[in-house]
Amino acid sequence: MVNVTYIAADGTTTTVEGELFSNVMQTALDNDVAGIVGECGGSMMCATCHCYVDEAWQGKTGARNDGEDDMLDCAADEVKPTSRLSCQITLTPDLDGLVVHLPEAQY
Amino acid sequence: MPLAPVNDSVGIDALTLDPYPIYRQMRAETPVVRVTSVGRTFLTKAAFTKMVKDDPETFSSDDPNTPMKPAFQAHTLMRKDGAEHRRERMAMQMAYTPKVIKQNWAGIYRDLTDRYLDSLPRGETVDLFSALCGPVAADILTQILGLGDVDAATMQRWSQQLIDGAGNFGWRPEPFAVSDKANAEMNAHFDSLIDYHKANPNASAFAIMLNAADPIPTSQIYANLKIAIGGGINEPRDALATLIYGLLTNPDQLEEVKRQEAWGQTFEEGVRWVAPIQASSRLVREDCQIGGFDIPKGDTVMTIQASANRDEDVFENGEDFVVFRDKNPHQAFGSGPHHCAGAHVARRTVGEIMLPALFERFPNMTLPDPQAVKWRGFGFRGPINLPVTLN
Repeated sequence: MVNVTYIAADGTTTTVEGELFSNVMQTALDNDVAGIVGECGGSMMCATCHCYVDEAWQGKTGARNDGEDDMLDCAADEVKPTSRLSCQITLTPDLDGLVVHLPEAQY
Repeated sequence: MPLAPVNDSVGIDALTLDPYPIYRQMRAETPVVRVTSVGRTFLTKAAFTKMVKDDPETFSSDDPNTPMKPAFQAHTLMRKDGAEHRRERMAMQMAYTPKVIKQNWAGIYRDLTDRYLDSLPRGETVDLFSALCGPVAADILTQILGLGDVDAATMQRWSQQLIDGAGNFGWRPEPFAVSDKANAEMNAHFDSLIDYHKANPNASAFAIMLNAADPIPTSQIYANLKIAIGGGINEPRDALATLIYGLLTNPDQLEEVKRQEAWGQTFEEGVRWVAPIQASSRLVREDCQIGGFDIPKGDTVMTIQASANRDEDVFENGEDFVVFRDKNPHQAFGSGPHHCAGAHVARRTVGEIMLPALFERFPNMTLPDPQAVKWRGFGFRGPINLPVTLN
């Protein structure tokens, strides 16, 4: 299991156990974490799973995937250097304890 | 495993008139079923429809041998997979984003909606389906796409003619002759706008596609515009009509929606309850199993999102219009790579602008005879009339 902490725009903090090699979007949906919609099911065709990776974790989550930049341009909220589509972050063992921040709106 | 059971009794007419009792029975008894009259394997449970849409490798959209190709005179992105689909879709996606809608278009949409509301006679009974829902959806799409001064009636006609051609599974020549004529008109109209959009870059889909650093071919730009015309008018029209019906036939909920200004939530419930696009087809690329049945390669499965949206495993009282649900994970916009590109546009225009503007302008409007409202459609569904007394 890989622990992930989601911090909503209003400060609400939720920590859940994600399955190894699931992703940050699916883990939120599986655990009813509000603030992630993930409408296209992780096929990088919507931007409703936008998140900001906590700066302390940016090195470990790595760079954006091919095509992710273009889709992030379509996000409802501000895109920052830490912005990712959470469906594109795979829960590898070294991400145990990952912290992501959620935008105010996904659409 | 066995093949899915066969249903010889359900016909297209029954599905067009009132599919929901049929789907309820299918979910309970035959959730995977080969429907002879449609020539497709119906999937009526939410888990199955989502699984299929999310797995384009096994369940492909790429089927050039449908009437869509002659109707649109192109192999369009709706019927493509993978990188090719992504490239053509991303070429116009920016025009449909929440940011662009908010920054560039929200004011124009409000003005357009107000203009239609101004024209409606207070105190009289008016068919809002034809007087409001269709034309305002068409005019808004004209703006989003950057189609200049084409009028709402023409846009609606083009849209319907493309849809009729794409649905011409009997391959009769007449609907294609009609769609060919519409294609010629659209091509000529698009041709006339290219110079303007190149000289005046703007946030419309047409301009964004033309002025991209690495633009897709003009033929695909035109195909994309036609897909948006064919798929961007009837759906918001039907969603708006369904929402008005849902609220007027549930006055307690209407009062609460107004009090909480819960228009966004109302929108989601309306499209869950009667999804404007009820069903989609996918070509099966590999032998596989769904729900304990063998689905052979070459079969065509039909995801019935209309049914998934009322699945008892996901929704309590799914047959009813209930705005204030705890969760509403409907599939009205689909899932996977072909997830509706216009979802945000619909949410903003129908949910945030048109619906509240209408109920604000006519706070005491009524639906004098709900029985008079007729619902139609198997692939696409909504009311086809909506006689409302405006007050």
